[in-house]
Amino acid sequence: MGDAIRFLRFVSRLFKRNGGPLAGLIVLCLLLSIATPHFFTSSNLTNVAQQASVNAIVSIGMTFVILTAGIDLSVGSVLALVGVVLASLLRAGLPMPLAVGIALAGGFGCGTVNGVLVCWGRLPPFIVTLGMMSMARGGALVYTGGRPISGFEEPFRHLAQGTWFGLPIPVWIMIGLYGAAHTLLSRTSLGRYTYAIGGNETAVRLSGVNVHVYKTLIYGLSGFTTAAAAVLLTARLNSASPLAGINYELDAIAATVIGGTSLMGGEGHIMGTLIGAFIIQVLRNGLNLLNITSNFQNIVIGAVIVAAALLDTYLKSRRKS
Amino acid sequence: MKRWPVIWICLLGLWITGCHRGTHPAGSAKPRIGFVMKVLNNPFFIRMEEGARQAARELNVDLIVQAADREIDVDRQMQIIENLIETQVDALCVTPSGSREVVAAIAKANQAGIPVLIVDTKVDEPTAREMHVQYATFIGSDNYQGGLLAGLYFAQKFTQPASLAILEGIPGHETHDSRLKGFLDAIQGAPHLTVVASQPANTERDQGYNVCQNILQSHPDIQGLFATNDMMALGAVEAIAAAGRKGQVAIVGFDAIDEARQAIRDGIMAGSVAQFPDEMGRVAVENAVKVSRGESIPETIPVKIELITKDNVDSVP
Repeated sequence: MGDAIRFLRFVSRLFKRNGGPLAGLIVLCLLLSIATPHFFTSSNLTNVAQQASVNAIVSIGMTFVILTAGIDLSVGSVLALVGVVLASLLRAGLPMPLAVGIALAGGFGCGTVNGVLVCWGRLPPFIVTLGMMSMARGGALVYTGGRPISGFEEPFRHLAQGTWFGLPIPVWIMIGLYGAAHTLLSRTSLGRYTYAIGGNETAVRLSGVNVHVYKTLIYGLSGFTTAAAAVLLTARLNSASPLAGINYELDAIAATVIGGTSLMGGEGHIMGTLIGAFIIQVLRNGLNLLNITSNFQNIVIGAVIVAAALLDTYLKSRRKS
Repeated sequence: MKRWPVIWICLLGLWITGCHRGTHPAGSAKPRIGFVMKVLNNPFFIRMEEGARQAARELNVDLIVQAADREIDVDRQMQIIENLIETQVDALCVTPSGSREVVAAIAKANQAGIPVLIVDTKVDEPTAREMHVQYATFIGSDNYQGGLLAGLYFAQKFTQPASLAILEGIPGHETHDSRLKGFLDAIQGAPHLTVVASQPANTERDQGYNVCQNILQSHPDIQGLFATNDMMALGAVEAIAAAGRKGQVAIVGFDAIDEARQAIRDGIMAGSVAQFPDEMGRVAVENAVKVSRGESIPETIPVKIELITKDNVDSVP
């Protein structure tokens, strides 16, 4: 009984906080269900969840960074670099848990470098992560000689192709990571400071908090979630390409912003980002099912991004007045 | 005024539903064929689509053509294939963006019992065997043969020792690797020709320009250039013109797209190996219909390939 009430309270909070994006997602799903019989089937919805998982996971770290009023442009390239390193380790015969562990640590490391340069180097995040974007992409190309690395053993491929209780493993990992991120943001000092730094960094520093350490950790976290996404993408495609992940930073920023997080920092919710990632993927999926050509899809997706942002602004202004 | 966003979303929704009505006549028993191309913003695939659509009209087929925005976006192509499998097409034609990556997508079609026809770019056989996937046929031109034709052209054109440069496609790509291999094998048989530079330019025009410009810095004296597609070749044309050597380097591309043909007529390019993408599209749809009816088709269906030069540029379609 208590659980049920707690669940209802969670759902009502989800609506209150993320009303705009959630309403958008529901309307979108309703329209697609009417438009095509192939949309609202369990196998298609499972597909959408799996297709959304990579972008959704990258967007977790992006949301943290944007909450601090920063930006991380390097995620797509770091994803490619982590992917090819992981692939080469697996091909070299390293046991899977070890290889995946090294990949996750490597992603965290790339993010930490970003954080250190932003904090101690006093550089704007845009510049630092732009540099990392180029360096990581170059690193991946040099490391592989430009060629994709493919062909892994069954246990690794199972990470993306297997299911637990009817849902693909990547979807479970996505749910787990969002749960962890939600707890981190709402229950820990790291979460409180993430919002506070985005709201007023000077005030936080003057109150004696070591802002540099927290910010570096947050950029590290972005590298970590990117690496987790790289593991899943590599397993899904049974291949890692140095050219993977191009434009993924834009998808992640789009998911975050559609989800209601302010690019000015200090305002937003992690579950909104998950909804944002789903809005993008539901659209792509739906437009495929409706047989709308790819050149046209870009127009629709762009229009929806703008519409979602408008709706969110409208709802927020109404709440305030 | 404040209700505008809501109204917009509703309008957008109505529009999407409206688009949908036009494409699916209710109650038709036509075969439904899905055709997943690499991209739809490259003239090669646009011609392939035209050929496929024409065949679809003649055979009364409901044809669905979809593609990603970028040739290297293998994950997006896989998503499109998954989504088309959901719509229960009767057969699926695929031009793989990645020879290995596509295998996981074919596996899903196999599970759903939808026959797959591979068009233009081959599937990596070891990966396909390892993952036990099956596809009905491969329809495409012999890219190795095309590269060989280009190499033989240079071997005949230059009677004196000459240095050549190569613009490669996306490394690890079966199509471009085969063209390159064919070309290099032809050059091996011509000891008076030397390849002084061979660099990837990722099939893109701007990359072709930049890489060619860089090659010209270190090897200003190249006399011939082979690019494994026309987009890179056309980029190289501009770079060579910018270096003040317009018309002095014999450039041979691949695909013989309209712009390259015009360049050949104008004498800016020496030649281009023609594939016949419209033919591929037509053959693919015809065979997809056969497979969906349960008829058997050959394991590979070759499509002709030819070198276009100034002599035959107007006679070959």
